[in-house]
Amino acid sequence: MIMPLLLVCRGIWRAAVYTLKTRGTSPPKLFSTCDGAPAGLADADTIFALSSGHGRCGVAVVRVSGPASVTALRLMAGLTGRLPTPRTALLRSITDPQTREVLDRGLVLWFPAPHSFSGEDSVEFHVHGGPAVITAVLQALGSVPGMRPAEAGEFTRRAFQAGKLGLTEVEGLGDLIHAETEAQRRQALRQMSGDLGRLYQDWSHRLKRCLAHVEAFIDFSEDELIEEGVLDQVDRSLRDLQVEMEQHLKDERRGERLRSGVQVVIAGATNAGKSSLLNTLCQRPAAIVSPIAGTTRDVVETALDIGGFPVLLSDTAGLRDSPDLVEREGVRRARERKGEQFVFYRKLSVQGAGQRLVTWVTTGRTLVEQADLTLVVVDSAHLPTEAHQAAAFLQEHLRSVLPSQKQYETDRCVLVLNKTDLLPEKQRQKLDRELRAVSGLPPVCPISCQTNEGLKDFLTVLHSSVKTLCGDPLSGAPTLTQARHRAHLQQCAAALAQYQRYRDTDLALAADGVRLALTSLGRITGRVGAEEILDIIFKDFCIGK
Amino acid sequence: MLTKRLPPLQSLLLLVSRPHSHHARQQFDVIVVGGGHAGTEAAAAAARMGAETLLVTQKIHTVGALSCNPSLGGVGKGQLVKEVDALDGLCGRAGDWAGIHFSILNRRKGPAVWGPRAQLDRQRYREFIQSELLSTPRLTVMEGSVEELLVTEPNPEKPGCHRVTGICLAGSNQPISASSVVLTTGTFLSGSLFVGQTTSPGGRIGDAPSSAGLSYTLRERLGLRIGRLRTGTPPRIVKDSVDLSLVKLHLPDSHPSPFSFLNTHTRCKPEEQLPCYLTFTTPGVERVVRESLHVNCHIQQDTKGPRYCPSIESRVLRFPGRSHQVWLEPEGMTSDLFYPQGLSMTMPPDMQLRLIREIPAMHRAEIHTPGYGVQYDFVCPTQLSPALQVKNTQGLFLAGQINGTTGYEEAAAQGLWAGVNAARCALSLPTMALSRTESYIGVLIDDLVSRGVTEPYRMFTSRAEFRTSLRPDNADLRLTLKGFEEVGCVSSVRYQEAVRVKNTLQDALLALQALTLSAPNWKKTLPDICMSKVKSTILTGMDVLQYNDMSFEMLASAFPECLSSYKEFSLRLKIEAVYKPHCDLNKKEIERIQKEENMSLPQDIDYLSIPVSLSQEVREILDRVRPSTLGAATRLEGITPAAIVSLFNYVQFTKSQRMKREEELCARNVSLPQ
Repeated sequence: MIMPLLLVCRGIWRAAVYTLKTRGTSPPKLFSTCDGAPAGLADADTIFALSSGHGRCGVAVVRVSGPASVTALRLMAGLTGRLPTPRTALLRSITDPQTREVLDRGLVLWFPAPHSFSGEDSVEFHVHGGPAVITAVLQALGSVPGMRPAEAGEFTRRAFQAGKLGLTEVEGLGDLIHAETEAQRRQALRQMSGDLGRLYQDWSHRLKRCLAHVEAFIDFSEDELIEEGVLDQVDRSLRDLQVEMEQHLKDERRGERLRSGVQVVIAGATNAGKSSLLNTLCQRPAAIVSPIAGTTRDVVETALDIGGFPVLLSDTAGLRDSPDLVEREGVRRARERKGEQFVFYRKLSVQGAGQRLVTWVTTGRTLVEQADLTLVVVDSAHLPTEAHQAAAFLQEHLRSVLPSQKQYETDRCVLVLNKTDLLPEKQRQKLDRELRAVSGLPPVCPISCQTNEGLKDFLTVLHSSVKTLCGDPLSGAPTLTQARHRAHLQQCAAALAQYQRYRDTDLALAADGVRLALTSLGRITGRVGAEEILDIIFKDFCIGK
Repeated sequence: MLTKRLPPLQSLLLLVSRPHSHHARQQFDVIVVGGGHAGTEAAAAAARMGAETLLVTQKIHTVGALSCNPSLGGVGKGQLVKEVDALDGLCGRAGDWAGIHFSILNRRKGPAVWGPRAQLDRQRYREFIQSELLSTPRLTVMEGSVEELLVTEPNPEKPGCHRVTGICLAGSNQPISASSVVLTTGTFLSGSLFVGQTTSPGGRIGDAPSSAGLSYTLRERLGLRIGRLRTGTPPRIVKDSVDLSLVKLHLPDSHPSPFSFLNTHTRCKPEEQLPCYLTFTTPGVERVVRESLHVNCHIQQDTKGPRYCPSIESRVLRFPGRSHQVWLEPEGMTSDLFYPQGLSMTMPPDMQLRLIREIPAMHRAEIHTPGYGVQYDFVCPTQLSPALQVKNTQGLFLAGQINGTTGYEEAAAQGLWAGVNAARCALSLPTMALSRTESYIGVLIDDLVSRGVTEPYRMFTSRAEFRTSLRPDNADLRLTLKGFEEVGCVSSVRYQEAVRVKNTLQDALLALQALTLSAPNWKKTLPDICMSKVKSTILTGMDVLQYNDMSFEMLASAFPECLSSYKEFSLRLKIEAVYKPHCDLNKKEIERIQKEENMSLPQDIDYLSIPVSLSQEVREILDRVRPSTLGAATRLEGITPAAIVSLFNYVQFTKSQRMKREEELCARNVSLPQ
């Protein structure tokens, strides 16, 4: 029912029942009408949201409600024939309908209307609880036609309208929504008083003026002295606005990272010490650590505060051919379970200490692909003793661990050489010196999770990487902190394109584009009524019959 | 319609009842007070609905008078005229009869915002309205001045609620009773006229002021909140005294488009149309305004005037140092006067003459009648239901300037809807509301009753959220069918025509959809078409008709066998094709709003004391405005979503309680021994 988002509170992550839907001066309206939900946001839409808490959890429930639920179910669970038995869990691969990529394997449940919480056709996806999977599933849902993220309280509202809630339940609803709006209002105030707020207000102001001038031209130009020049100015302003918005939208998700955390994934071969690194960073045993390779069999995820920046740290299991029969069986099952497409694994030849080791490196492909930053952990003991060989070794290692060249190139990676305590002092120093001189490698941090040696330097490197990814909130252009803002701004920019398309042929349809743009932006800054537009018209033009 | 001759007025005037006549009826279903645009539409609509109707007016020969500008329609207003016509009202047909200069404004800006407009011959307009009213069955027109509005004492069970019972005319002690009364008093409710420093009671120059009794009843007995507004009219200029060599000629459309869906042409032939003229103010005009300020009572007063139809005084004061437009409009085919639009003024007559002579084309102009200002009372329209019925007085309806609007078209639209509901009320039918999603009339009334007014309200297209769906071309499809099937104010002749239009358009659109060709084949058939599509694309006739340079005629000549029979609707089909995708997008949102508007809130809720968790602020807003639907409540400033939920919950709860009680009652009655 609610889009839960994460609030950062002094480095502690809290799952908060919260949504951002600000209206500036006028309060958000449950049954919003002329505050002008754009055409695509009407009730017949199908809505979706993460219904379980955000952050670290074993299973996440994503709920879908509305007529397109069936479509979503068919597309994402690959169901072509009969629909599953209603209200019965079914294990399926969940795929992205656009890319056909498998996102996760999880349970799907089909609740045909009216036997669902909302009274409409509903679907639930029970997937693994990591943010990467959840984000991927939500993104995939967003790409299904007719689907959009749910508004605050929307599932409940629909349930309410369908008569699914009893009177006692309903009685609490008013208070609940009130509390939500209070939280929203406070949050909105906080956000809106900042640079971002000023930026959006400025856009809204400019859009209002543009709309007022277009409307003045439509309603008054025949009788009054309003010349075509007015529109030329509007054309310019709207083009500028569109460019600025598109620029703003291209901020590489920095602001959102600041809000919902930088996704940092620890990857590497088995027993390189990934879990030890996680524990060192957490300063608590979040993952079970043991000297036996393959101890980590699941994704472990922890929220961290790195120098004031929120980080979601995930540890991945390294899969490999194992002599341990029990583990081998587990790996076999895991491969089977995850499906061919999901498992990212690669045969890696590690030549270290004259020993040929075949290691399977596996990480949830989506996890590493969607990671903002990957910490590639390497066991220093496996490094070739000659420094130049070591560099080549590391490069090849990176290529095999990282799914695409992209992350490697854009400094979205840090190489962590673990277990330096096992190397002789002399070799360590030489390695350190020579690797620093090698270009084309990401930052290299020799550390020992055992003795905490090099940890301080590593944290500095990590901090600066995270900071770059988030963008310094105290400087530069304001960044986009809200997925919802992004959606509305995208709508806004798209609506402005409608203006340009019809500008010369049908001003009524062109103006409709500006109206729609203002409505979309109004969902962030507060709604703009017809009277406000008329006020601008009468202030700017001498209208008189 | 236009081919028929109007019956001679003199013979019709004999039908007019006199208050003292022995044969006069003393009982009607609906009484309409006032014979302006609102009153005439109200009376005609009530009579069309089947109600025995009485129209009371001070002077029979001013019924249908154009008190101010000699024109009808325009951007936004033209839509209202089309809608009134679609509901079988008078003003569209009257405009076609009386128009002497037709033009469609905004022609280059898209069909949704086209503004059909006409300059009118005052005489012809009056003639048409009068003859139409006097030949309407069930409608009696009576000269008289209303002395008193008769209402019952408040109902003891519903405190503060009255019921209207009739009216009492001046000079007669015999009341005339009716179930519904529609007040359309225009500027006459406590009206005062201003010229220079002189003030006199009245609503229009040359007419007697209305009695104070009506004002007293509304204010004191019914406790209605009353506000004050002002307006004005320019001096009329003697045509021959204007130097037409110094003005810009403005020609009408060469093919006049009629307002009415029933008319295919206007009475005035294209070549008979009269032009308008455009000229501009000079710095001298501003000087005269400033010099006359101390002797100009009206402009000094703090009453709200319209921002968009301001006097020349407020224009030059608000935007000094500019040149302002002045349109010289003909007052009629044979009239020797000009109406100088843009020169409404209230300074003393000698200063008015000085002012107009500052304009080069009028340096020797003569004034026939000086301009003057009017201040008048209006009833704050938030006290009305969407049926335009006063919330606390059953059977009392208000329309026109009394609700704070300005303009003939706004008045006519409200008049028609008030007349419809007055009749429904008298005939014991439930009252009806028009949605803002289906008509400009709905936008107008919803704005009035749910937001109120602070200045005279005028219609603009920018007020309509669904402007691209509410077009002048489709008013008949939006309203005529409903007007006949649900409302009852549309004649069957008009209905039949609308059904034919609807079916033909539907068939034509289907034929266009069925016409599918690949892009290269389209190019082969229509070589002029600018098409940059890939080869494999299949396009329908609908798609192709959306192209800028494509007209339905071009398609019809390429595919005569399937399309030529629809040529009658070429323009409408082109518009439909272009707008359909946008209207389809609007549809979902429209449906949602309609759903909310269908959740009605009982009018007797005591918002201040209902046991629901509402803040005092919200209670006061709801109590003041008394929204009639949940949809209207959501649009109120300061109403929180939580309040809406609580409110909905309360209403549902009380409804289910009531139903339960009724069921129990039924069950008990059934079990009673016979």
